Amino acid sequence: MKSEKIFKHTSPARVGIGGPVGSGKTALIEKLIPTLEARGIEVAVVTNDLVTKEDAERLKRSGLIDPDRVRAVETGACPHTAIREDPTLNIQAADDLAAEFPSVGIIIIESGGDNLASTFSLDLVDYWLFVIDTAGGDDIPRKKGPGIIRSDLLVINKIDLAPLVGSDLELMEKDANEVRGDRPMVMTNCATGEGIVAIVNQLSRDVLFDA
Amino acid sequence: MMTLTDIIGFTTDENISGRLHDLSHSNDVEYIVLERENTLRKRLRVTGDKGTDCAIALSRDQKLEDGCVLHLDDNRAIVLRMAQEHWLSVKPADSAAAVELGYFAGNLHWRVRFDGDIMLIAIEGPIDFYLGRLQPYLDDGRARVLSDE
Ligand SMILES: Nc1nc2c(ncn2[C@@H]2O[C@H](COP(=O)(O)OP(=O)(O)OP(=O)(O)O)[C@@H](O)[C@H]2O)c(=O)[nH]1
Ligand SMILES: [Mg+2]
Repeated sequence: MKSEKIFKHTSPARVGIGGPVGSGKTALIEKLIPTLEARGIEVAVVTNDLVTKEDAERLKRSGLIDPDRVRAVETGACPHTAIREDPTLNIQAADDLAAEFPSVGIIIIESGGDNLASTFSLDLVDYWLFVIDTAGGDDIPRKKGPGIIRSDLLVINKIDLAPLVGSDLELMEKDANEVRGDRPMVMTNCATGEGIVAIVNQLSRDVLFDA
Repeated sequence: MMTLTDIIGFTTDENISGRLHDLSHSNDVEYIVLERENTLRKRLRVTGDKGTDCAIALSRDQKLEDGCVLHLDDNRAIVLRMAQEHWLSVKPADSAAAVELGYFAGNLHWRVRFDGDIMLIAIEGPIDFYLGRLQPYLDDGRARVLSDE
């Protein structure tokens, strides 16, 4: 594989996925895994939940990934603490995965569902995505939360639901571009996989370096 | 794309500074300028000031710092520079305003330092964002902006 050379000397890319509760973070990971693996990039995942291991169990059962490559961190309290103020538990989980599976090229860390203010510490991840969805309302990008402004890649998910909930996709795109300047954004439907290739292309360019 | 996977040393290292000096005469030292926050990343794609497309991939125990050398050979060097930081100086009108402002800045996770009774807020992103949030304080005189350099 082309990128073997790079991974051998350094460590896997660490990519965070944050965003409000239910916006489709786990659904996105379920679509990213096969697309990345098809390109020869092995995946491991760390999930964060408040007091359960729901998302980790869901991924382990999915058949998409070796269950040993999925770790759960129970954050206990505010989910943003575990990805920003004190990311120790997540760093530990990622370190463990990197040590146990040296062929892994990317470790995806899903934050517990939070609000628009959540951001990842760059101590923990090299790059992070923020996932919002059309069903949350088309005024979300305009509300300028730090997640929307500062994430490396903004994902607007559930585009299939926009007409059903009366959300104006074009307006969301325009508002997001306005607050984000030239930083990238992708529209997705994680139920069908629409937009996933664009995300993988962006990751390949920015952190996997295989393109 | 040029892949950079190691910190070779620092511009001040004895065995490096002379070579950098020579290369600078032929204009062969390229700089990558990063904001402080971005130096925490271990993997990133950036363009140097001479247009080289660089893919940085360090091990987790290495850290990008001002003056670290990422590439050095007889023909060229690539050096990292940290962008100058910008601070917004804000002076609260009295101690009541100071307490309130301190809580406010902490709640927004702003990075701050203090110079006597002046709060300095690190500007990470568009300054309008900071001024916008401080507007109520500026409007009713609980605080005023002294400078933004
Ligand atoms: N129609 C539609 N449904 C989606 C899409 N993406 C996710 N969903 C559904 O939305 C619900 C929430 O998705 P999750 O992936 O669990 O969301 P999450 O962000 O991981 O949620 P938390 O981890 O609990 O914060 C699930 O029922 C998904 O099937 C999409 O693009 N379109
Ligand atoms: Mg989830």
